[in-house]
Amino acid sequence: MMESAPHSDEVMPGGRTLSRRTVLGAGLGIVGQALLGADTGRRPAEAAAPADEAGLYAEAKKEGKVVWWTAHYQLNAAEAVRDAFVARYPGIEVQFIRQTAQVIYQRLTQNLKAGVRELDVFASTDEAHYTALKRQGVLAAYRPLGLGNLPQAFQNVDPDGTYHVGALGFVIINYNTTLTIPPQKWTDLLDPRWKDQITVGHPGFSGYVGNWVVAMWDKFGWDYFAKLAKNNPKIGRSINDTVTDIVSGERLVGAGSDGTSLDSRSRGNPVNIQFPADDAILIVSPVAVLKDAPHPNAARLLESFYYTKEYSLAMSKTSNYTLRADVPAPSGVPIDRVKWYRNKVERLEKGVPDAIAKWRETFGV
Amino acid sequence: MSAAAPLLIARRRPDLSLGVWTVAAAILLFMVVVPLAWILVASVHADQDNRLTPANYVEAFTKSIYLEPVRNSLILAALVAVIAVVFGTVLAWAVSRTDMPGRTLIRMLTFASFVTPSFLGATAWIFLAAPHSGWLNRAWVALTGAPRGFLNIYSLAGAVCVIALYSYPYAFAFVSSALELVPSEMERSAELLGANWLRTTWRITLPLVRPAIIAGALMSFLEAIAEFGTPAFLLIPARQQVITTQLYLFFQFPSRPNLAAAYALPLLAVTVSLFLLQQRLLRRGRFTTVSGKGGVRVPFRLGPWRWPVFAICITPPIFSLILPYAALLATSLSHAWGRGPVPGNLTFAWYHWALVENQGARRAIAHSVSYAAAAATIATVLAVCSAYAVGRRLLPGARILGYLAMAPFVVPGIVLAIGFFAAYARPPLVLYGTAWMLIVAFATRFLPIAYAGSESALRSLDLELENAARTLGSGRLRTFGRITIPLLRRSILANWLMVFIPSLRELSSAVFLFTPATAVITNVIFDLSDEGNFEPLSALGIIMMALTFGLVAVAYRLFGGGVFGQRQRA
Repeated sequence: MMESAPHSDEVMPGGRTLSRRTVLGAGLGIVGQALLGADTGRRPAEAAAPADEAGLYAEAKKEGKVVWWTAHYQLNAAEAVRDAFVARYPGIEVQFIRQTAQVIYQRLTQNLKAGVRELDVFASTDEAHYTALKRQGVLAAYRPLGLGNLPQAFQNVDPDGTYHVGALGFVIINYNTTLTIPPQKWTDLLDPRWKDQITVGHPGFSGYVGNWVVAMWDKFGWDYFAKLAKNNPKIGRSINDTVTDIVSGERLVGAGSDGTSLDSRSRGNPVNIQFPADDAILIVSPVAVLKDAPHPNAARLLESFYYTKEYSLAMSKTSNYTLRADVPAPSGVPIDRVKWYRNKVERLEKGVPDAIAKWRETFGV
Repeated sequence: MSAAAPLLIARRRPDLSLGVWTVAAAILLFMVVVPLAWILVASVHADQDNRLTPANYVEAFTKSIYLEPVRNSLILAALVAVIAVVFGTVLAWAVSRTDMPGRTLIRMLTFASFVTPSFLGATAWIFLAAPHSGWLNRAWVALTGAPRGFLNIYSLAGAVCVIALYSYPYAFAFVSSALELVPSEMERSAELLGANWLRTTWRITLPLVRPAIIAGALMSFLEAIAEFGTPAFLLIPARQQVITTQLYLFFQFPSRPNLAAAYALPLLAVTVSLFLLQQRLLRRGRFTTVSGKGGVRVPFRLGPWRWPVFAICITPPIFSLILPYAALLATSLSHAWGRGPVPGNLTFAWYHWALVENQGARRAIAHSVSYAAAAATIATVLAVCSAYAVGRRLLPGARILGYLAMAPFVVPGIVLAIGFFAAYARPPLVLYGTAWMLIVAFATRFLPIAYAGSESALRSLDLELENAARTLGSGRLRTFGRITIPLLRRSILANWLMVFIPSLRELSSAVFLFTPATAVITNVIFDLSDEGNFEPLSALGIIMMALTFGLVAVAYRLFGGGVFGQRQRA
């Protein structure tokens, strides 16, 4: 969350090699791609993989490294996951980039267009990225080991198994702790007593906000926003802007994310979260293995790692929701006890662009 | 003798040099023409299936949600131009024509405002003037007991003031250099005929420098309409979308780069037509008194007005530099800026974070410096070569080369970025994802500065020296390398710096062209702002500006103030 540029002791895909490959792949077309394929020791991820952890680890170790692009969530979370992975599986280097979902998605799209294979595991926060990638046939169908450790409700987000739940987050009500009684539900925000005191992000700039807007729209009708507009909310860009506004005292309540709010709270800032009685909005952030992954077994091993206790501990340590009920969540509310609502991904595909247009009509921006 | 003769002839053959000039011309084509052509091509193709269609234009210019930003941008830019010209002209007049105290100080502070990117100023003004939490508003509430402060930076007025505070130096530079050439005789005559100083200034002095005022207004307008950072920070909360923020939205998922191209072209049309308008205005109202020859310039005696005028002139720098830098510095040294300057809130952790702890920030700093240096080098070399080719008419159609080199002047950064994206994010030449994408974009964007500098420096060179070398048998290339370049050394260094500085702080094109592996300081700053992490943002901003001002100071030390004289011509 703090940092947006990649952490480089993890060694990023080197700029120079990359550029040469990009040009090569593009210039020589099929021949270039074949050469590159040979160059990186291609083995399609679809081929049979060892079905046990030890076997997978042994194969992965031969590959030596895994390339991971993630938007889950803050840099320190990604670092904690990397550290835990390396501790469990010594001998495999993790090259990772922590960036916003749009940036890593666009980068992947460009790579696919140019025929560059560098990425193994793609972890964005926007489920629509995955349905788009799936349609292009670039995701590997794979059932990671330990998927059964997830609560049943999260086990089959994609019926074809090309992507799985990688991280969970919620849009909740966040508030400045000078408030003794925060709003209890989404509709409370329509009360005139919150006039000039609400802060929200923008659905065009933030996937989380887009998700929240569609959920409110479907639950309460667009009228919700017509009424919200009367309370003159401050509109930022990212959903995390709400935390800034609340911590600085610019505004008192917001529609924010649990992770950033709790992370800020852990640093001593006057902010807390309230799970709305009319449902927290669940945001599923998927993870997937690329079909053309240069390190297919290491990729599978990393994806399987998501369902270990170590992974959940790393997430919890960095104020994020845990994937397993046996690791306590930082919010104090276990994952299977949260009352949540989730937009269907098909609904989001059409709903978010519509919501952005309607948002523009209602809020003027 | 007979052995030497063929050698002499061989040396004289201009082939090699012709090759160099042709390469320079080809690179210009690649930097300027190809991206702009690609915008045109992209704009008539559908985003979904790449089919040829005018639908993008229809969508971009019939939907009211896309027309609104155009209106907002025009209003914003027009207001900025007016305010910037008023500030710039008043300051220029006071500095160049009067005996006001602190003239050098005002000049230096104006230059410092010019170097400071407005998005950094906008961030600082959020700390100062956010409606509830801004420090100035809080101080006001504490002092007066009013329920809330009166400043609201999240407004059109806020954005206009912030952008104007950082673009008035253009008007200042143009007007002050023109004023320095105006002899006092005409003003004297007016005074003798009974006009007071106000009337003299209004009726005589200002009309004499009208072309410079118009040029200053145009530059400020171009800056404002192309500005991305400040509107993103201040106008989104103000519920106003402008062209640049709308263009940014087109690149969010699902991205619509071709629609963005269609939407960007009219922005280009606006800037080009303004430029042409300016050229026409300049041609009509030319007073030849501004000849640069003869005439004594006597500073205006302000008498009792000396200090009041100084107070007026120091106001823009207070708002553009002193308050903002104080706010940025205080924030960069705070654990949490919202807590204000209270005990226990002081920390150097963010500088440690940016310079030591965080590899991402460190890499971004290294990228910024190396990309800006590379861009400055490319732009300078290209500018000298093409200005030489144009000045000495070495190529057929050399004039076109000159136009090409100056063309990016009227292309807003964001439009250029969209062109680069359209042209070089796809085969056959994929620059996207590499450092070259940013380097070439920066070099292109600021090429006109280097070109204008090289052109005027070359014009001031007498041909005699070159001709002497040529007569003695030196080839064109050798003459250029051994005679012309050394004579231009000073101007070349100045050009290099004048490209390096804006490249280092460039946001509006970087935001479209970077990838995780090539992020520069401004990308990290933008992301940090997106996430409301103002403390590390301020630390990075201060580091960026320390680098810039450090470089300026070194250059000043080495070459004296003349290095930055170029600015007035660019």
